[in-house]
Amino acid sequence: MYRYIIIGNSASGISAVEAIRKKDKDSRVLVISDEDYLSYLRCLISYYLAGDIKKDKLIYRPQDFYKDNNIDLILNKKVVKVEPKKNRIVLEDKTQLNYDKLLIATGSSPYFPQIPGVRKKGVFGFRTIKDTEEILRLLTTTKTACILGGGLIGLKAAYALHKHNIEVKVIVKSKQVLSQMLDPLAASFIQKKLEENGIEVIFGQDVVEIIGNGDVKAVKLESGKIIGCSLVIVAKGIRPNIDLIKDTEIKFNEGIVANEYMQTNIPNIYTAGDVCESFDLVLNKYNINALWPIAIEQGRYAGENMTGENLKYPGSLGMNSLEFFGLAVISLGIYRIKEEESSLEEIKFLDEKNNIYKKLIIRDKRLVGAILVGDIKNSGIFLRLIKEKIDISSIKDKLLKENFGYPFVKDLLKEKEVIYV
Amino acid sequence: MKRLYYRIEKCLGCRSCEIACAVAHTKSENILEAIKEMVLPRKKVYYLEEKNFPLSCLHCKEHPCVYACMAGALTYDEETKMVLYDESKCVGCWMCVMVCPYGAIRPDLKKKIPLRCDKCKDKNEPFCFKACPTGAIIWEEEGTVPK
Repeated sequence: MYRYIIIGNSASGISAVEAIRKKDKDSRVLVISDEDYLSYLRCLISYYLAGDIKKDKLIYRPQDFYKDNNIDLILNKKVVKVEPKKNRIVLEDKTQLNYDKLLIATGSSPYFPQIPGVRKKGVFGFRTIKDTEEILRLLTTTKTACILGGGLIGLKAAYALHKHNIEVKVIVKSKQVLSQMLDPLAASFIQKKLEENGIEVIFGQDVVEIIGNGDVKAVKLESGKIIGCSLVIVAKGIRPNIDLIKDTEIKFNEGIVANEYMQTNIPNIYTAGDVCESFDLVLNKYNINALWPIAIEQGRYAGENMTGENLKYPGSLGMNSLEFFGLAVISLGIYRIKEEESSLEEIKFLDEKNNIYKKLIIRDKRLVGAILVGDIKNSGIFLRLIKEKIDISSIKDKLLKENFGYPFVKDLLKEKEVIYV
Repeated sequence: MKRLYYRIEKCLGCRSCEIACAVAHTKSENILEAIKEMVLPRKKVYYLEEKNFPLSCLHCKEHPCVYACMAGALTYDEETKMVLYDESKCVGCWMCVMVCPYGAIRPDLKKKIPLRCDKCKDKNEPFCFKACPTGAIIWEEEGTVPK
C-alpha cells in the first residue's frame, strides 16, 4: 500500500515527487516507469545523438535521488490498467498495487502513421534514450536518412544526423517547417539555415510507403518518387499515453483532462505533463501543451495538491524555444492569425539582412502570442504579459523597439520582488 | 542574504556598472580582456522617461528559469537563495530566456550562454555595487532595504 504512486519517471513525475517530499517526508512513495533508465533529460537526446554531449549529461536525477528521498522505484514495467474504484493499478506482469493518491504522468509517444513498412527495421521514433542508442548503432552504415515530419523533433533529428555527415532529407506534408509553432515567414528563416547547411527539405509530400525486405531500403513519396535511405525517423507528432485509462471512468479527450488543481475527474487521481490536457490561457480551451518546462510546472502543482494543498494552476500555453545553426527562435501562444479571426491584430519588425523577425499578436488589447526570430531577448516579459493578460495599450508601440525592457512594463505588473527604491 | 536594489533618483545612466560587470567576469578582472574576449555585461541600464533603470537577475523566489531549464544547468540553492548556473551542462536552448519574468536573462547568442547576474559570488562584493559613483546601487540584506 502506497500513499502516493507516480506513473512516469520523467519531468512531471520527478517534479511531483520533489513537491511531495517537500511537504511529506515519511509517506511511502512509488515511481513506476516503462523505460529501463533512471530519470533523464529527455530534451537532450538530440544533443546526445549529435555527439554534442556525452551520455552522462543526460542524467536528470541520479540513483541517490531515489534513496535519499526514500522513494521506491520500479523500472521497465508498464502499467496496463488503472482501477479507480479499487484505488489500484495493475502492471503488465499482473502485479497489483494500491494507492491513496495516484499521479498519471505517462507522457506521450511518437505517432506512427499506418503506412506499409512503418515497422521495418531501421524505422524509429525519436523520444527515448533507447531510440537514440539504436539509431546511433546504425550510423556507421547509414549514408542517407529520411526524416518524416518537419516539426521540432524532426528538425532536431535532422541536425543530429547531419553532424555525423549523413545525407539528410526532411519530408514535410505542409508548405513550411515547424508549422505547429511558426508562421511561414519565420519558418523560412529556419528553412534557409537548414538548406545552407546541407539539410534538404521536401515540402508538400507525405511518405506513402517504406520499402525494403526487413531492413529499410527507401521511402516512396505521394508523387511516386522513391528516395533511397537506410534510416527513417518518424516525427509526425506525438500522442499521449492513455491506454491505461481508456476503459475507466477517468475523463479524457485526446489527453487526460486536468482541472485547475491538476486533478482528473476522480478526486484522488491527478495528471500532469505531456499526457494531460490543461486549460490553455490563450486558446481558452483544454489543450495538450507538451513541453519540458510545462511538465515540470504541472508536476509541481500536482505533487503539492496531492499532499493536501489547494494550489490553483494558472493554466498553460503553447510555447517553444529552439536554435539551429546559430539562429535562435522563440514562439509563444498564438503564432498565426487564421482568416476568420479578424479581431486579432499583428505588429511586426523585420530586418532580413540580420535575420531578425519579430511579431506580436494582440487580441482585445492583450498580447496573445509572439514569434521572435534572431532576437529573443525579453521573451519572458512577453510571456508574462500573455499569461497575466495585461492591457498593453499604453506600451504597444514600444514592445518591439530595440531599447525595450522590463522597466517599460513595471508599472503594469504586480510584483512580489522589490527592485527599485 | 544580500541582494541588489537600485535607487532610481540617484542613477545617472553612466553605465559604469555594466562595464564593471563585464570586467568582473573576465579571468584577469581586466577591461582589456573583457573587450578582447567580448565578455558581455550581465546587467543592463534601461532609459525611460528621463530616468535610468539598472536591471539584472534578481534570483527571484519564483525562479521559473530553474524549472524551465531542460539541461539541468540551473539550480536553486535554498541556503544562499541564489540561482546557480553550471555552464558545463548548458546546451544553449534558451528556455531560461523564454521564461524570465524580468527579461533579466539575456542570451549571448555568439557564445551560446545565458547572461545572468551571479552576484559576483566568488568576490567580496558585486563589482557593479563598487563601481557605482552615485550610490544608486544598494547591496543590502533582503528585507532591510533603506527607503
